[in-house]
Parts: sequence; C-alpha cells; structure tokens
Amino acid sequence: MNWKSPNHFLRCAWSFLKSKVALIAALALLLVLAPTRARAQFGLDPCCAIISAGLNTISGLLKNVVAQPLSSIQQIQQQAADFEQQVVYPIAAINSARGLAGQLRGQLKQLSQLYRLPTNSATLPAPQQLEQSLLSHDPKAIAQVARDYVAVYGAAIAPADAPPPVRDLVDMSDAEAQAALKRAVQMDALADIELAAADQINQQLQNAAPGSAPILEAQASAWLVRANAYTQSAVAELIRVRSIDLANAGAQLKFSVGDINTLRSNTGQALQRRSQ
Amino acid sequence: MTNKLSMKVALTLCLIFLLLLAPVAARAGVTDIISLLTTITGTLNNSIGQVLDGIQTVNTTIRNFEQQAVWPITLIDETRAEVAQVRAQFSNLAAQVHSIEMSSATLVNPKQLETRLRSRQAGDLTQISASYTQVYQSLPPPEQATPAQRNMMDMDDALALGALKTAIISDQASEQMLTVADGLETQAGLSAPGSASFLTTQAQAAALQNQAMLQKLLAAELRQEAAKLAHSNTLRKQSADATRNLRNGMQQILTR
Repeated sequence: MNWKSPNHFLRCAWSFLKSKVALIAALALLLVLAPTRARAQFGLDPCCAIISAGLNTISGLLKNVVAQPLSSIQQIQQQAADFEQQVVYPIAAINSARGLAGQLRGQLKQLSQLYRLPTNSATLPAPQQLEQSLLSHDPKAIAQVARDYVAVYGAAIAPADAPPPVRDLVDMSDAEAQAALKRAVQMDALADIELAAADQINQQLQNAAPGSAPILEAQASAWLVRANAYTQSAVAELIRVRSIDLANAGAQLKFSVGDINTLRSNTGQALQRRSQ
Repeated sequence: MTNKLSMKVALTLCLIFLLLLAPVAARAGVTDIISLLTTITGTLNNSIGQVLDGIQTVNTTIRNFEQQAVWPITLIDETRAEVAQVRAQFSNLAAQVHSIEMSSATLVNPKQLETRLRSRQAGDLTQISASYTQVYQSLPPPEQATPAQRNMMDMDDALALGALKTAIISDQASEQMLTVADGLETQAGLSAPGSASFLTTQAQAAALQNQAMLQKLLAAELRQEAAKLAHSNTLRKQSADATRNLRNGMQQILTR
C-alpha cells in the first residue's frame, strides 16, 4: 500500500477506525451512566441510623399496638370457644339427646303398633262387613259405609209407612250416624299419617345438630297444630251426633204431645156425638 | 456510502435507547425517610391499633353478654336443679294419683270383665269377648229374633267391644307415653342449652303421637255414638214396619 503523504495516511487510518471509536465511546458512556451499588450497610451511609431507629419504632409498635391486642383477642375467642363447647353445646349432652331420640323412637313405634291390634268382633255377615269398613283405617272404605250401614240398620221408611215429620227425623238421624261413622274412618287414617310423620321427625332428629333441631321442632309444632285441628273436627262431629240424639228425644216428646192432643180432640168429638 | 449511513443511524438509535433506559439517580433525602416512617407509625398507632382495640372491646362485650346474660352458668345449674326438684315433687305425686284403683264391681262376672277392662294390657284383648258375653249375653238364636234385630244386636256388641278394646289399648299407650315423658324430664335435668332443643323436638313429636292416639279414641267414641243413634233410629223404622203390618192385618180382618 502506498501513502502519498502522512496526512493521507492519517485520513485513511481515521476512516478505518471511526466506527470502532464511536462504538467504544458509546460503551464507555453506558458504563458511566449505569447505576452504581447502593451503600446501605455497615453504617457507611448517614441515612442508615435514621432508618434503623424508625424500624425499631415500628417493631415496637407492632409488638405493643398490634400483637398485644391480637393476643388478647385470641384469648377472648378461645375462652368463648371453650364456653360454647363446654357449657352451651357440650358434645356429650348432644350425643345423649340424640341417643334418647333413638330410644324414644323405638318405644313410640311399639306404641303405634298397639293400635294395629285387631279389635273386631262382629259375628254375622252384615255387621262383619260394616265393622270391616269402619275399622279399615282406609279412606277408600268410606264410600262403602252407606251400603253396609243400610244392610245392618235398614233403609229409610217408605212414604206410606210414616208421616213426613217422622221420615225427616229418621233420615236426618241416619245421615248423622253415617257421617259420624265416616268421620271415624277418616280420623283413624289421619292418626296413622300423624304417627308416621312423628316417627319420621324422630328419625331425622337422630342425625340433627343443635342448629337444625329447632327446624324439626318447628315442623313438629306445625304437625301438632294440624293434629289439633283434626281433633277439633272429630269433636265437632261428636257434638253433632249427640245433638241429633238430643233433638230426636225432643222431637219424640213433641210427637207425643201432638198424639195426645189428637187423641183428646178425637175423644171429645166422639163424646159429643154420643151425647147428641 | 450506504454502509456508513446505516452505521450512523444504528449508533444514534443505540445512544437514544441508552439514554432512555439509563436509571435516574434516586434523590431520597433524610426528610423523606423520616416522613415515610412517621406515616407508617401513624398508621400503626391510629388505624390498625384503634381498630384492634375496638375489636377487642366488642369481643369482650359479646363474651360477657353470653356468659352473664344469655347462658349464665349459675342459672343453668339452678335450672337443672329445679328440674330435678319439680320432678321429685310432682311426678311421683301424679304417678300416685294415676295409680288409684278404680274397680268397684262385686259379682263374679262383672268383676272379671272389669279387671280385664282395667288391665292396661293389650295382650288380654282376645279374652275380653268371653268376659263381655258372660255379662251381656250372647246373640239370641235365629228362631228367637228377627234377622234385623240380630244384626243390630251383633253390631251394638261389636262396636261396644271395639270401643272397650280401644280403651285398653289407649291405657297401655298412656302408660308408655308416661314413660316417654319421664325419660324426657330426666334428660332435661341433664341437658345443656344447646341440647335442649333436641328434647323439645322429641316432646313435640311425642305430643303429636299423643294427639293421634286421642283421635283414635275419638274415632271409637264417634262409632259408639253413631251406633246409639242408628240403634234408636232402627227402632223407629221397625216401629213403622210394625205399624204397617198391624194396619195391613187389621184391613185384612175387616175385609173378611
């Protein structure tokens, strides 16, 4: 390679090195601008003493203001938990009550079965048929009561055989007697349903918790209210049947009074005819 | 020429990036640090500390209220003792009153029937019919009464016997129910506030069963009353039949 002059040599060398120098300069600038390491340890920085004092204060505050109340809260909650577990909801008492539920359920089931014992005793075909319907505990048997009743107690009086007031009285009495018998079948069926409901509530109680037992209690109370209402309807029917009986006795007296008046009037007429 | 230009552009871009990405020197002074620490301390003292004090106060109030007002142990123990006292005072007394003898029949047959009726043993049900027949007689044979009369007598007997049997069953059920009540009362004396609801529910269920048994008794009473009404009504029907027969007989005699 030939250089015409030293200047020519320098120009050539510069053009060759220019880009490399720029790159090196850029890298040097990067190193200068790069962040330096923080000096926060060994008390070399004047800020460290202040930070240390501040952190100590915070630590003290955490111990006194936060940790102590938290410890106190924990203690109170522990006491409350112990109180609830030992006094309010002791597991032993809860298990004992559950056990009693199972025991009582067995006793009450036996008791329900008592009412399933046969109480029939009619011997003739017609009374047997009526008795079977009456003791069936089956609401479907209510439809048969009227037919079986007529087979035992006879049909209504024919128009030619008794005056209308007597026929009315007899018809009303038959109607009320049949209604009372039907109500008896209904009551037996309802009582069976109530016994089954009570048994189921007892069964659920064996697996209940103190929080769910009041729900069952409310359900049992509702059933009790319902049962009371059914009992009232039975008592009302009882009052009706007794009232009809009383009314019959009154009507009998009225018929007798009417008959005596008719007899007196007829006798008076007969005596008048004889005297004439 | 192009190479030179691209080199310049690359260098310029590189420098711009370096300037952008270069970290800025932090300028946190002592005042700033003190301010930050003061803020933290204030937060701990005022916000957190006061709230925790409040929670502590509420918890203490709730605990005291529950232990002193809602479930005071002394009162719970006193109530348990009272249950035992009431049980000792009244349950035995009631049991004694309940066991007073009611029998009063003097003759052999009524005495036997009465004993069975008051036995409170449903196992005796089959023997009731025999004792009943000895006192109230058996059905007359067909030649001694009309079919209608025999039907009615048989039905009367059946319903009377049915009601008597139901009464015996009810007596036994009452005894068992009294045992249940006794068990509930005993358990009530040992229960805790949290287990008492179990006993209340059981008592409610037992009361429901009691009501069902009362309904069965009422059903028997209804049958009885209905039979009485039907019986007297049938006598009226038979009277009307007899009157018709008499009238027909008189007419036949008069037409001869």
